[in-house]
Parts: sequence; structure tokens; C-alpha cells
Amino acid sequence: MSVAAPSRVQMHRPLAPEDQARADFYALLARLLRGAADDALLASIAASGEFPSDGDPALARAWNALVSAASVMDADAATEEYQHVFEGMGAAEVSIYSAFYIGATAVDHPRVKLLGDLADLGLARRETVVEPDDHWAALLDVMRVLVAGGAGRSPAAVAEQRRFYQSHLAPGLAAFFKATQDAPSANFYRKVADLGLAFEALETEAFHLD
Amino acid sequence: MKNAKPNSRRNFLLAAGLGTAGAAAAVATATRGVKGAKGAAADDTATGYRDSEHIRKYYKTTQV
Repeated sequence: MSVAAPSRVQMHRPLAPEDQARADFYALLARLLRGAADDALLASIAASGEFPSDGDPALARAWNALVSAASVMDADAATEEYQHVFEGMGAAEVSIYSAFYIGATAVDHPRVKLLGDLADLGLARRETVVEPDDHWAALLDVMRVLVAGGAGRSPAAVAEQRRFYQSHLAPGLAAFFKATQDAPSANFYRKVADLGLAFEALETEAFHLD
Repeated sequence: MKNAKPNSRRNFLLAAGLGTAGAAAAVATATRGVKGAKGAAADDTATGYRDSEHIRKYYKTTQV
């Protein structure tokens, strides 16, 4: 039996388990796309349990395959693969920026709308962040913050999550993961893309429900 | 069914296994703060984004 620490004031109810899981998937996908997986992350994934067998079959399959893949992957191999697939101006096999999938024009670049929407949400870049705002890792991380809250803010209402998701993730996320699945050098990151695609399908469908 | 029932979204997510996927999905959260895990979100403030001060105040005024 444990006693809750009395000093900490709960500002809002704890997250429902399904929302915690959503936030965790967003966090994990963001982490996997922000940079090459290191040994600690690979070990954690490899040590994870199987996805509930009565859950979404595509997500379960993708999750279990990623766990298996992580157990035979090391950081050096992950780094090399990540570099081939995602890094290098003009050399990357897959663009890791959402604007590429939405169709960027000079005048009405999606980043312009994104910056406005982030400002409306009260989310600003940290000075240390060097990636453009439309890096998929950044967008997935915004979703994590909206779903779970953090840094002093409460979770956002589903309507607000939906608005951001449908404006900035839905238009290109599936295309990005499909491109990653097809990338010649992708192996471990193909499993990541499988997971991302299954999760994206789930979120897209869920956001159509009330 | 044309009109989704209230909470059908939650039921959908639960049926997808997200209600019980907790331990599995928590990997990135669990590895946060791992020393040397460069690029991993170390804590809430390590996300690429942070609340700007005015919105934090705004949220404080709206939550009770």
C-alpha cells in the first residue's frame, strides 16, 4: 500500500489509460524519428511486452515486429540506417519534413500556417531546437503534449487535438510512413514505419468519432 | 451506424487495445532521462516545444 505524496496538487484528473497509451505512442514515434535509436532505447523496446492480443491487429502486429527487430539491432546499425534513409540535403531517401508531403509553395508554405497554429496553442520552439517546425518528430511531439499535457499545461480537449491533427498530421503522415516503408535502405525503420502507419490509421479513425 | 454514440471514440480506442497497451507503449517515456540518451525527451520540458508564459497564465486561470 502506498500513500500519495500530499505536497503535490493534482491540477487535473489523471489521463485515461487509452490517452496515456496514445501519448506514449506519439512520444515513441517522435523519439524514433528525431534521431537514430541509441542502445538504451533499443534495449527498452526489445524488453517491452507484446501488444494486447485482442487489440487492433495491425497495431499489434507492427508493435510485436518492432520489438523483435529492436532486439537484434544495435545503435551503430541504427545510426547508419537512419542517416541513409532520413539525413542529408538531397541525399536522404525519404524527406522527414511534412511540407514535402503537403506540397509546398513559396507563397503559402504549410510552415506559415503551422507557425500560426503553434502560436495559437501557446507552443513555442525552444531555443535549442534546430529542426524546422514541420519535422515529423516535432509534429508528433506537439500531439504528445496536446494529448498528455506537460510543462504546466493540461491536456487539450479532443476537439483541439483533432484540429491540429487534421491540419498538420493527417495530410502527410501516412504518405511519409509509406515512403519510409519503400526506402531502399530501410530495415529497422521499415518496422518503425509499419507501427507509425498502423497508429496513424487508428488515430485518423478515432478522430472521426465523438 | 450513421451517428456515432457518445463515447464511441473512447470505446474504439479501448477496443483497439490502447486501454491495456500501457506497459508496451510506455517505452519512450520510460527511457526519458536516461543518461546519454541524446535526443530522447528527458522530461516534459525537453520536448521541442514549451508553453509560452502568457498561455501558461491563461491555462491557470481556466483550470479549477
